[in-house]
Amino acid sequence: MFMGTTPFITVRARRPLTEIEFCAWVAQAVPGDRLEYHRGFLVLDIFPMFARLPDQQRAELARLGSRAFWAAEQGLVHLVQERTGPDQFAYIAVARPKPKAAAVSLSALLLAEQEAA
Amino acid sequence: MQIELFPDDIETIIREADAAAQRLRRKLSLPLCEREDLGQDLLVDLLRRLSAYDPSRGSIGAFANIVLRNQSSRIAMRHHRQRRAQGGSLLSLEVPLASTREPVGDTLTEDDGLAAWHGQTCCAAAVTELHHALQAALARLPAEDRRFCAALAHRPVTALAAEGFGSRSALYRRLADLRHVLTVHGLGPAWDDLAAA
Repeated sequence: MFMGTTPFITVRARRPLTEIEFCAWVAQAVPGDRLEYHRGFLVLDIFPMFARLPDQQRAELARLGSRAFWAAEQGLVHLVQERTGPDQFAYIAVARPKPKAAAVSLSALLLAEQEAA
Repeated sequence: MQIELFPDDIETIIREADAAAQRLRRKLSLPLCEREDLGQDLLVDLLRRLSAYDPSRGSIGAFANIVLRNQSSRIAMRHHRQRRAQGGSLLSLEVPLASTREPVGDTLTEDDGLAAWHGQTCCAAAVTELHHALQAALARLPAEDRRFCAALAHRPVTALAAEGFGSRSALYRRLADLRHVLTVHGLGPAWDDLAAA
C-alpha cells in the first residue's frame, strides 16, 4: 500500500518581497510552507559593482537576504536554493516548527523594569 | 440667586420641556422612544439655568421657552454632527431594523461598537491571543532586548540613551530591527494583509 504524499506548494510573490513581508510570512507559516523570496543570483544581485538592480531595490534585497539568513539561524526556516537555469536560482524559505520557549509575563517584566529605574 | 417656585411653575417647566422634547424629536426624525431622553436632557439644562430667571422680566414659561429653544438647537447641531460623522444616518439601538423583530442593539457585536471603529480590539478571544503572542514573543527575545522593550514602555529613546542604554542612533537601529523580529514572532502586520495589499 502506498502512503499518500503531501505536495509542497511554494508561494511565489508577484513582486519583489520586502523584509517586513518576509517576517510576516514567517510568523504565519506552518511547518512545511515554502516561500520563494527571490529569483536570480542573490550574491551578485546585491553586489553594488554589478548594478543589476537600482540602488533602492538592491538595498531592500540585501536586507531581505540578511533577514532570511537570520531567520534560519533562529531555527525558524530552512533556506534552500533551486537551480532554474544558468546562474539562475530560486531562493526558497521552508518554514520549520516554531522553537518552544517558556512564556514571559509582560507585567512582571514591566514591574521589574520600573523597580530597576 | 435663590428663586421661589410654586407648584404651577414646576408644572409649567415640565410641560414646556415635554413639548420642546416632542418638537425636537420630530425635527430630528428620531423614534418615539427617544422623546424621554430628550425631555430629560432639556429639563436638566433648564433646571441648571433657573437661577438666572428674573421674575421682573417675564413669566417662567417665557424664560423656560427661550432656554429650551437654545438647548434644543445645541442638541440638534450635535445630532447633525454625529450623523455626518457616521455617514449620514442615525439609528436607535432600541428600534428594530426593517423586516426584523429584534432591536438593532441586540444584533450588534463588540466588533461593531465605537471602540472597534477606532481600532481598539474588543473581541475577548483576540485580546487573549494577543496576550499569548506577546508572552511567546518576549520569551524569544534576548534578555537585553526584553529590558529595552520594557524600558521603552516608560521612557523615550532619548532618556534611555542618557541612562546608558547606548547611543541614540544605535537604539533607533535596534528599534527598527526589533520591528522585524517582533513581526517574525507574530506581533506585526499579517502576511495575508500584506499580500492582499
